[in-house]
Amino acid sequence: MSLRRIAAVAERIALGFRRDRRSLGLLIVAPLVVLSLVGAVWGSTTDVVPTVAIATDRIGLPPTFSGRLVDALIDATEIKAHRSTFDQGVQELKDGTSDAVFWIDGVTLHLEIEGSDPLRSGGIGQAVQKALVGALTRSGLTNSGLGVAAPSVQIEQLYGGADYTLLDYLAPVLVAFFAFFFIFLLSAVSFLRERTSGTLERLMATPLARAELVIGYLAGFSFFALVQAIVIILFTVFVLRVQYRGNLATIFLVEAVMVVGAVSLGLLVSAAARNELQAVQFVPIVLLPQVFLSGLLIPVSQLPDYLRPFSAILPLTYANEALKAVMIKGFELGDPLVLRDVGILVAFGLVMAVGAVASIRREIA
Amino acid sequence: MAREVRKRFGSVDALAGLDVEIRAGEIYGLLGPNGSGKTTFIRCVAGLVRADSGDITVLGRRPRETAAAGRVGYMTQAAALYGDLSVEENLDFFARLEGVHDIDDRIDEVLRTIDLADRKRSIVNTLSGGMRTRVSLAAALLHAPDLLLLDEPTVGVDPVLRREFWAHFRALASRGTTILVSSHVMDEASRCDRLGLILAGRVLAEGTAAELMRRAGTTDLESAFLALAAGGPAVEPSEASPT
Repeated sequence: MSLRRIAAVAERIALGFRRDRRSLGLLIVAPLVVLSLVGAVWGSTTDVVPTVAIATDRIGLPPTFSGRLVDALIDATEIKAHRSTFDQGVQELKDGTSDAVFWIDGVTLHLEIEGSDPLRSGGIGQAVQKALVGALTRSGLTNSGLGVAAPSVQIEQLYGGADYTLLDYLAPVLVAFFAFFFIFLLSAVSFLRERTSGTLERLMATPLARAELVIGYLAGFSFFALVQAIVIILFTVFVLRVQYRGNLATIFLVEAVMVVGAVSLGLLVSAAARNELQAVQFVPIVLLPQVFLSGLLIPVSQLPDYLRPFSAILPLTYANEALKAVMIKGFELGDPLVLRDVGILVAFGLVMAVGAVASIRREIA
Repeated sequence: MAREVRKRFGSVDALAGLDVEIRAGEIYGLLGPNGSGKTTFIRCVAGLVRADSGDITVLGRRPRETAAAGRVGYMTQAAALYGDLSVEENLDFFARLEGVHDIDDRIDEVLRTIDLADRKRSIVNTLSGGMRTRVSLAAALLHAPDLLLLDEPTVGVDPVLRREFWAHFRALASRGTTILVSSHVMDEASRCDRLGLILAGRVLAEGTAAELMRRAGTTDLESAFLALAAGGPAVEPSEASPT
């Protein structure tokens, strides 16, 4: 094992990057653009105010109560309510001019919603509930023997909080995903180029050992991956103002060990591809399962049982878990959960690196 | 040096019992049509391919051991260089892999040899094909290897430069470097000390250009090659080979 040769390989990669400004731009700018977009989409706390048609012909309350309640609902800020009949309201739903129709039948409050978009539907129910609680209180109907209780539940959160936006919760997993995605792709394509351009064959006729080549690659790419990780983390924390509790250094360390695994996986995958197009086609195979199974979109604990084993072999699962623990819960590196995840990521990196060495098929004569 | 070497790729016999002995300090030419096994044999000698059977010894050791010791220079058929790096950066990289001392001096020296000293800082992608071939040769010469493997080194090289290349090969050989060069250009083959005519992974005939022409009863090497290739049993490798 020669440090001089390893350093030569790492430096060669750095030199190539220096000349290939586009790849460097892709590595640094692309995640920031996407994160800004995500920040703009998910980072705001402004709730959409649903338009609700109150079917006054179906409010099964005595007229005085009914009128007070409807007035109070129309005054509510949580929803945009207007008087309507049931049939008219349903037609409005179909036309897309209203989001929900509200009526009361006995002691049951009914809300018919449009329902074609589950994300929007959830918000409507909540908004109407809030509006109703306020309206009942304001109209003095709460204790009127109406049978409509307006219990007030004050929710306190151990982690996160009311001022946390969706982006605050998603930032840890997004940071891990971007780092993994870009560096995996770049290292796979770069090593593939080494194979197809004949330089790999040329290198293997020098004293350079396969392990030295892989370590050199890991060093070269990890350097840029870590620069990327620093930029992404600083951007999310200081520009997107994502709230975090943990130590920035710990966040960075988790990223670092994950990135080594991503580079190794890239080298390994390049062995299975014959050209750059094929290498890019590996992105859905390698990355999409991690999007769905690593806890990025759906918590691992909510996955069907038969999918959990798959989730358990994906590196992003552990990176996500560790980063969430550090960024949202404020765990330190010494915490058993974080230590375990970092250990698994290190082991993943090692296994992939050994696989990458084996994939360089030099049959030693 | 190589005895009864066989290598199959799928159903193709790339090397079918090849026997070659190359003497130290000579220029040995592998002459044969495309697909005759020249490159496969050179890759075996470079330690890149393991022969299925047979025995290859390079400078007294197994091929990979010799290459790992930095004693082999390998110039591939297509220039294997990093297009986004400069000539100097490419050479510096290979020099460090080969463990060259005084890297800067050596780079200047080989660049003078291939007459590209003024393109030291040029990015390889901006060079012409012939220039890249020259840089590829320079990369193989950096560490002053004891054995130089040249796989069709003058493809795409103009006649003037080709003559310079051969003058340089001759100078290296006179200083003790052993050179194994493959070619299908007859004119070039005549410049080798000895030749091995290769067809279908076997040495058909071996000897100096003059010997081969005499044996085939022809006055030029191309006719000799064609005659020997068609002649079959009249020229057994064992008869031609001094091993």
